[in-house]
Amino acid sequence: MKSMQAGTMEHRRKIRAAQVMAVLGALILAAFLISMNTGFIKLSPWDVMKTLVGAGTEKQELVLFDFRLPRIVLSVLVGAGLAVSGAILQGVSRNALADPGLLGISAGAGLAVILFISFYPMTEGAPVYLLPLCAFAGASLTAAVIYSLAFRKGQGVAPTRLILVGIAVSAGISAAMIVLTIKLNPEKFQFVSVWLAGSIWGANWHFVMALLPWLMILLPYVMVKARVLDILRLGEPLAIGLGTSTERERIRLLAAAVGLAGASVAVGGGIGFVGLIGPHLARRLVGPHHQYLIPASALAGGLLLIVADTLARWILQPSEIPVGIVVAIIGAPYFIYLLMKT
Amino acid sequence: MGRLYAKQVDIAYGDRIIVEQLSLTIPTGKITALVGANGSGKSTILKTLARIMKPKDGAVFLDGKAIHSQSTKEVAKQLAILPQNPTAPDGLTVSELVGYGRFPHQRGFGSLTQEDKRIIQWAIEVTGIVEFRDRPVEQLSGGQRQRAWIAMALAQQTDFLFLDEPTTFLDMAHQLEVLELLHKLNQEEQRTIVMVVHDLNHAARYAQHMIAIKKGKVVCEGAPDQVMTHDVLREVFGIEADIVADPRTGVPLCLPYGLAHASVERAHSHEKGA
Repeated sequence: MKSMQAGTMEHRRKIRAAQVMAVLGALILAAFLISMNTGFIKLSPWDVMKTLVGAGTEKQELVLFDFRLPRIVLSVLVGAGLAVSGAILQGVSRNALADPGLLGISAGAGLAVILFISFYPMTEGAPVYLLPLCAFAGASLTAAVIYSLAFRKGQGVAPTRLILVGIAVSAGISAAMIVLTIKLNPEKFQFVSVWLAGSIWGANWHFVMALLPWLMILLPYVMVKARVLDILRLGEPLAIGLGTSTERERIRLLAAAVGLAGASVAVGGGIGFVGLIGPHLARRLVGPHHQYLIPASALAGGLLLIVADTLARWILQPSEIPVGIVVAIIGAPYFIYLLMKT
Repeated sequence: MGRLYAKQVDIAYGDRIIVEQLSLTIPTGKITALVGANGSGKSTILKTLARIMKPKDGAVFLDGKAIHSQSTKEVAKQLAILPQNPTAPDGLTVSELVGYGRFPHQRGFGSLTQEDKRIIQWAIEVTGIVEFRDRPVEQLSGGQRQRAWIAMALAQQTDFLFLDEPTTFLDMAHQLEVLELLHKLNQEEQRTIVMVVHDLNHAARYAQHMIAIKKGKVVCEGAPDQVMTHDVLREVFGIEADIVADPRTGVPLCLPYGLAHASVERAHSHEKGA
């Protein structure tokens, strides 16, 4: 009887989390199906079905398999990566407003991309494929710089200092980016501004394959660390008191967050907001336990981005708007709503 | 006699040294109260004893081994600490918070075992918060919340329990409630309890050992009637007080009637923060 009682709340949370994840999963699936039909070249649901089983025309196959599907899959993966990264950062910094931008990930990646573009001629072929690598390097480098600047000997990295240093460094980098973009020619400038606004620009299966391993390794790792994240959330003294090597765990988790966001930004560009809203939404739905919060964030982020990317292709047909802008358009009202409620 | 002691410890915040060459022993199986004025370093000493802060020099020993070089998870099975004003994430329920106390005993993925659940249940019952178990922590009153945090520390099942001002911000009934609970844990389960307390009369009544601290140094330590003297109170707190015997229990009670001369001047010149 007593042990039944002790299990009630745990049980209720588990059921709730399972329901939430099932619904989010179903919504992603629905968005996936709708997204396959959306775009400049019309494919009816029937055409999509036929093409999927191998009975479509050559053109339909090209559109679906080489353009649309990788892009849809990529948007889900990028959304998931950014949202989980945000969930980690919000847990580690104990700040509900933290997101991958906090560690200078978007800014660092952006700067690297701009540098790359200003020094490389925009020609067909190889250089564009180096762009994600470049973005990833920029993101990790910036994160490392911010971490070491926030580090104090004997005290480690205090979350508040990390946030402040992150804001300062990101602001500095943004300023440098503006200076650099002024010098670009119009063609390059347009490319850069679309990249910075966030766009699943290069969508092909290579990018999917480049991002997938990061998620497949880091997501399970973060799940193993879910309880550590719960404990870190209680603050430094309690976390140590409960037996966590706070400094070591923090650096590992931050590295995981940088890996996830860096890889996502590398293929998705500077998409903001997903890393902030995904975990927020998830927390409202499944509560504060990271064991549920992490997978729910992944699903919420994936859903958000697949919906945003579908809208980005649909709103101004035949042209597209960068998905990052759509995310911001959805995200800003949600945040204002949250603000009014609390 | 003591499983936990500090040997020639220096403690500093950055370059500012707070405590110098401190050596003290925590008597096993007793309630020890650290008392001292604001800014005396008592809280810093408590944190260092509980390995939350690293000493600049010297070491704290638990069962003969330097506490900071032991695995923090192993130490967490021996020693629990409740800091001042802990905060819980929004939406976390009391029983979930208490469940966090099982963290040092868990591994990897595993969820709570039957044994864990039994201990959580016990901690919730002994602290008298059964009716709030499924309520979010942030919705509890101060006294209930403090008991929930103590329950979490109890679920850690440690021999040592450290508390930093466990009664601050509580009304009188809740203060006594918390202190009675600690007294019971000490008496019935022989837990060693170390706490920072502001109320000297509470310290004298509930602790068997008192350590008076001024500017990071131990001025006086021993049984309450050795520490609660006119001279010690004047030296440590800068107050003039009469010491009388509690008519019920016989423990010393302090009745302050004024500021000692030196500290009147100090109070006029500047007020130092905690």
